[in-house]
Amino acid sequence: MPLAGSLDIRSLLQDAPTMTLSDRELHLDDVDILQVLYEIGFTDLESLIPPALNPTIPPVVTFLAYRARESVFGPFSLVQLRVSARAGVRPRAFLVSAFCDNPALAEVLSTSWGYRIHPGAMQLRRFHDRVECTVVVDRRPILEVALVDPQPITGHDVQYPPGMHLARVEDAHGARPRLVQVDTEYEFRRADRGRPELRTFDPAAWGNGRLVPTEPISASFAACTVDIAAVRYVCNPDIPASEGTEKVGSSS
Amino acid sequence: MEFGIFMELSVPRPWTPESERQVYANALEQVRLADELGFDYVWAVEHHFLEEYSHCSAPDLFLTACAMQTSRIRIGHGVVPCVPQYQSPIRVAERAAVLDILSGGRLELGTGRSATWTELGGFRADPDETKKTWDEYVRVIPKMWMQERFSWEGRAFSMPERAVLPKPIQKPHPPMWVAVTSPGTEIDAADRGLGCLGLQPGGFSESEKKVNSYRSRIENCDPVGAFVNNKVHTVNFLSCAEDGDHARRCGLKVASMFSYMASQLLSAKEVLPTHSYPSAGLLPALRRESGSPGDAAKSFKGVTMGTPDDVASAIRQWEAVGFDGINFIHQFMEVVPQRYVLDSMRLFAEEVMPQFKVAPKKQPLVAGVR
Repeated sequence: MPLAGSLDIRSLLQDAPTMTLSDRELHLDDVDILQVLYEIGFTDLESLIPPALNPTIPPVVTFLAYRARESVFGPFSLVQLRVSARAGVRPRAFLVSAFCDNPALAEVLSTSWGYRIHPGAMQLRRFHDRVECTVVVDRRPILEVALVDPQPITGHDVQYPPGMHLARVEDAHGARPRLVQVDTEYEFRRADRGRPELRTFDPAAWGNGRLVPTEPISASFAACTVDIAAVRYVCNPDIPASEGTEKVGSSS
Repeated sequence: MEFGIFMELSVPRPWTPESERQVYANALEQVRLADELGFDYVWAVEHHFLEEYSHCSAPDLFLTACAMQTSRIRIGHGVVPCVPQYQSPIRVAERAAVLDILSGGRLELGTGRSATWTELGGFRADPDETKKTWDEYVRVIPKMWMQERFSWEGRAFSMPERAVLPKPIQKPHPPMWVAVTSPGTEIDAADRGLGCLGLQPGGFSESEKKVNSYRSRIENCDPVGAFVNNKVHTVNFLSCAEDGDHARRCGLKVASMFSYMASQLLSAKEVLPTHSYPSAGLLPALRRESGSPGDAAKSFKGVTMGTPDDVASAIRQWEAVGFDGINFIHQFMEVVPQRYVLDSMRLFAEEVMPQFKVAPKKQPLVAGVR
């Protein structure tokens, strides 16, 4: 059988977001997205994700940055750090943490989709020769990442697997630890790809000092409409997703 | 119809010297039996770094052992990745020729280009280039076999005039195939006069479309070699027993484990935005992207599992679609006992195979076709 995650979720649960399941959806127009992928070291790869998930070989870390000049919450930037994984036979990305510069949006993402989210200052800037993203916390850069030499592609070529967010999900039985599957639809207006470049990354500031990027893989930029769907599935983080997945709304 | 067995050589953890040796020993025993029973082909994949899924990184060596322990079955060396970072086309031509000699002229060469980032990234190969390098490899390899001396100035590689030795026994050269998983590769196969080695389990209608477009296209092909190989094979899971329920349970164990392990691989398409890999290879057939992770892997229509009658009925459907052959996966991660695998092969050979071997083979339509 493939390797399975062994991340100790008890420690993560102490500051995991608390959320409730609802029909809430979120539509975001005119979002710029930068995605940069790096391989990370194999050491303790199982310990990077919860037992419900399987690691990919090799393990991959994803920097996923959104910027919108307008939204119902006003302008925002959101940067996520994700680790590639599998839930059963399906590709997923485990959210390590995220930073957002719009407190109102951050609150909604946290309470409705289980985003582990922190305040930070960030920029996503697009030039003709590069697209770059910086995240600054307490005046210290914790991420400087870029796509270099953008070349047009089709949006069909870009993939963003659904996120798996560790949260305490409140229901009639109390608050239960769950991995929340976050499904997002994208409608692309344009897309580019290019060479990934990572200048600064402080993994400890993102919540896991062992996430050390080793090999660059790819970088893409997209301008699109984003629709975050209402949560349809949650999963017991302690047992394989193939056994522990629950459909939202069905008895558990 | 022709029938083959398809070897991934998957090794479940924990890995020990004994576990890898046992998987290879079991596979060789299956190959010997397949030879005795009248199976037409044994295919061995070439994969690198695919933990548990496939420990078959030196298939030419494994197939040499197969060749030395058999007398009749054809030796399918494929799919050989035609990617310079993996190996030069010179080495592919040389090793294949040696295998053809040692097998007494039984070699079939399957070509391809890898579909996983695990492999391509491991060799630091550029996924954007693999379709182009494959195209160059399949053009030069038959020339290396047929010409006394050969020289080349190309995109993927170049060489001054040298004799690429030895030469294969089969003249003008061994049959060549291409693995077909990405949409459109069947057209590439047809245009180049290559056999179509289907590696994607799928439905009848989708398969029929592919076979029909291949058949119509190959009639006007420009073959890369000295002859056209116009065979179209597909892949399936074989589990055959008198107790149909037992056969299906065993077969689904193999199919489910195969699907599960294949889905763990990191496809090139998944991590790299590229036109070069329009699909994730065989993975989309094995998972539904938007569904629940809790959904069990399902078997597909036309799966060759059950009683001999069930299996024969499924094969007739594939035959009607237009396939010339089926290569069977009958074991994966050693999830069914070796004895069951051998019994399933025996029963298949005894009761199913003769139903498809009676009629003389239809003569190919294309002039010069082998």
